[in-house]
Amino acid sequence: MTVVRVTTGERLVSETMPNGLKVFVMEKPAFQRKYAVLATKYGSMDSKFQVVGEEVCEVPDGIAHFLEHKMFEEEDGHVFERFSQFGASVNAYTSYTMTSYLFSTIDCFAQALQELLRFVRTPYLTAENVKKEKGIIEQELRMYDDHPDRRIYRNLLSALYHEHPIRLNVGGTVESIAKIDVERLMQCYNTFYQPTNMALFVVGDVEGSAVVDLVNQATADWFDRSKKVQRIYPDEPLGIKQDKIEQSINISQPRYYLGFKDQVRGEGKDLLKQQLAMAMIWRSVATKSSPIFTDLYAQGIIDDSFGASFSGTPQYAFSVVGGETDNPEKLDRCLRKAIDTLKKKKLTADTVERLKRRSLGNYLASFNSLDYIANSFLAHEFNGTSLLDFPSLLQSLTIDDVNSALEHGLDWDKAAISLLYPE
Amino acid sequence: MQFQHHSIADGVNLYACETDKFKTVTMKVFIQQELSKDYASATALLSMILPRGSKKYPTTLELAQQMENLYGAAIGSDVMKVGERQILEFYFDMVDPQLLVDGDKILAQGFSTFWDLLTDTRRSDHGFHPDYFMQEQQNLKRLVDGLINEKRSYAIQRAISHMCPQEPFGLYKYGDQDSITALQNHDVYAYYQSVLCQNPMDIFLVGPNLEKWVGQISERSFNRQPVKSLAANSNKRVDKPTEVQERRDVSQAILVMGYRTEQTYTSDEYYSLVVCNGILGAFPHSKLFVNVREKANLAYYVGSGLEGSKGLITISAGIEGDQYEKAVDIISKQVIALQQGDISEDELIRTKKGLISGIQSMNDSATSVIDRNVLGVIHGKLRSTEEVTQAIAAVTLGQVQAVARGIELDTVYFLSNGKGDNE
Repeated sequence: MTVVRVTTGERLVSETMPNGLKVFVMEKPAFQRKYAVLATKYGSMDSKFQVVGEEVCEVPDGIAHFLEHKMFEEEDGHVFERFSQFGASVNAYTSYTMTSYLFSTIDCFAQALQELLRFVRTPYLTAENVKKEKGIIEQELRMYDDHPDRRIYRNLLSALYHEHPIRLNVGGTVESIAKIDVERLMQCYNTFYQPTNMALFVVGDVEGSAVVDLVNQATADWFDRSKKVQRIYPDEPLGIKQDKIEQSINISQPRYYLGFKDQVRGEGKDLLKQQLAMAMIWRSVATKSSPIFTDLYAQGIIDDSFGASFSGTPQYAFSVVGGETDNPEKLDRCLRKAIDTLKKKKLTADTVERLKRRSLGNYLASFNSLDYIANSFLAHEFNGTSLLDFPSLLQSLTIDDVNSALEHGLDWDKAAISLLYPE
Repeated sequence: MQFQHHSIADGVNLYACETDKFKTVTMKVFIQQELSKDYASATALLSMILPRGSKKYPTTLELAQQMENLYGAAIGSDVMKVGERQILEFYFDMVDPQLLVDGDKILAQGFSTFWDLLTDTRRSDHGFHPDYFMQEQQNLKRLVDGLINEKRSYAIQRAISHMCPQEPFGLYKYGDQDSITALQNHDVYAYYQSVLCQNPMDIFLVGPNLEKWVGQISERSFNRQPVKSLAANSNKRVDKPTEVQERRDVSQAILVMGYRTEQTYTSDEYYSLVVCNGILGAFPHSKLFVNVREKANLAYYVGSGLEGSKGLITISAGIEGDQYEKAVDIISKQVIALQQGDISEDELIRTKKGLISGIQSMNDSATSVIDRNVLGVIHGKLRSTEEVTQAIAAVTLGQVQAVARGIELDTVYFLSNGKGDNE
């Protein structure tokens, strides 16, 4: 068992169980909620894989998310009911790279944790309950279809990427989920829901070693049956698929997103460094402390919806910047010019220093949120980075690191725009 | 999480919660106004103009850079609708000074920058800085038009305006196009001055070592006039339920059913209504989720919300266009079940536990604990976590059934693309 004290003072206890499950416990005295996430490193992009010695397996898009829904079904009831008896709330979500099951409770923490560790280990799938879930998920997909931000984002990724599955909806499509059946779900479950591919994070007013003991007991009969598995991702060209994608839907005003397809430059600390540098660059473009932002805002071309983000995991990296605008053509022109000027002039030492203060402040403040700590810690863990390295890497980040990221990460040859227009 | 009350000036109250649980110091200022067509647009506009700049930091750029230098201190503003009050809300938070070198000095700068935005705005001969006035007037018009971009919020607001055409509660919290267009800079500036010196102002502070800051705020000159007394919520019973259909090009249809009740926040039986709404549709174990989603598979989301100040319940669900009648039927049956006392002891217990957990969980977030108490402030009395949890725990099945009998359907609203119509 290892114990470290994080920058903000909390104790973090970690231990790997005999079956390979990694367990992390952060002690947050005085908090009333206790929050736990059990996650598997398996997301929507893992739809093609090969168990060594077996045939290549290609499953319908959206199956990881479908499986997440079905884990809540029990032979004698529903997982929601088991948690509501403790007054606890339980939920789950699926991303491109991981599936997470979580609960939040005030009372009966030990029982709730045992329940979490039990239900994620016991799928109950029948032809009938798989069929009924299709109706529910179809409504979830339709809800997202009416969501302009999701539409424009997905359209952008489908322009940036030729083949990679992140160009698709996490939940798949009505057509792809129609092909999902019990056998395929179980195949995915058996391949990826193995303790060596999973991790648990607990945070709240708990005692770290006591939680580790509890997990140890609760998982004593959970054995790792994983076989060596190769995840197969398509050969993705470095360049983009198309430089523009447009759609009209029922919205009040046009939306404009500009995306840059990027590459992961290194792993572990190097990846985290890239994330920090890119976050700074986008803050120097798309927040109110940027002259670029305030100039476009004063011209009435953008509003508070304008923002940017960078996503980088070992499998993909890209940036997105944009928002609502009455004049997408003018925004495109002005933004391209502003980014060119920034690339020529580079970020100054003053700007980098100021952005470092902001990044550090935001990092410290993020420890207010149990949900954020747990989910973001595990996302970093699966990416091979560490949330705890943030302050030291931030300090060591040089102005050259930032400007080199600016040079490589915002390459016009790998840029695409996604536009939504009102009907 | 108890608040110490300090009466500062006529109609100005400060509530301070001393705690070192969080990594931040949080301050929120609420200015209450009657929700009325006369003020709604102007109040909303104030929330957008004031954060643009002060005499000391006249441009948004300078202001935002200053906040970054203060370790990413955050400022924000918005308007809320609480019953028939429109609340102008300002937000500030900064990293706990104990985590920073020279922290107290930095926090003092943060507080004074924040207060300047409220009380020492950048002005001109016309009132506000004319560019800020014009830009934010445009942005507010876009914001009002933009309601349609979030289909569920849009549907609920439309249902409410159909339900309360003659009551202030029917108004949208950001106002309406015509009154925004008609706003003049000098009038809005005069309005701002009157609001600042007459309307009830409540200041909430959460963080460590507050004594010094409470002292500083108390010494500020507020230049107050006698506090304006604000109209109480109007009250209306249902004449005859109405049905409204709206056509839009949406992928998913949204059904909203609006009900009136006989209880509000200040009624003796208010917490019986809270429990009643919980059993109906606030949780995954509630009647609506179980029957509409899990049994009939009609929806991904379905739930009910209680607006306690006005005593209204709105149920919303995203469904297929051709499932309208079936969904209305199943939902209506759940309300009837409550009225007939078809509630199990188990449903009651789970719901109470869930509600109590929810209330206690709010103590783990500075903004949640503040927002919960604002409701008490508006109704003239703060309620502690213990008071609320005890009141919920004491509710009986008989009381739930009794308040359920006072629930009456007022409006059925349906947003769809019309493709499910039979004709």
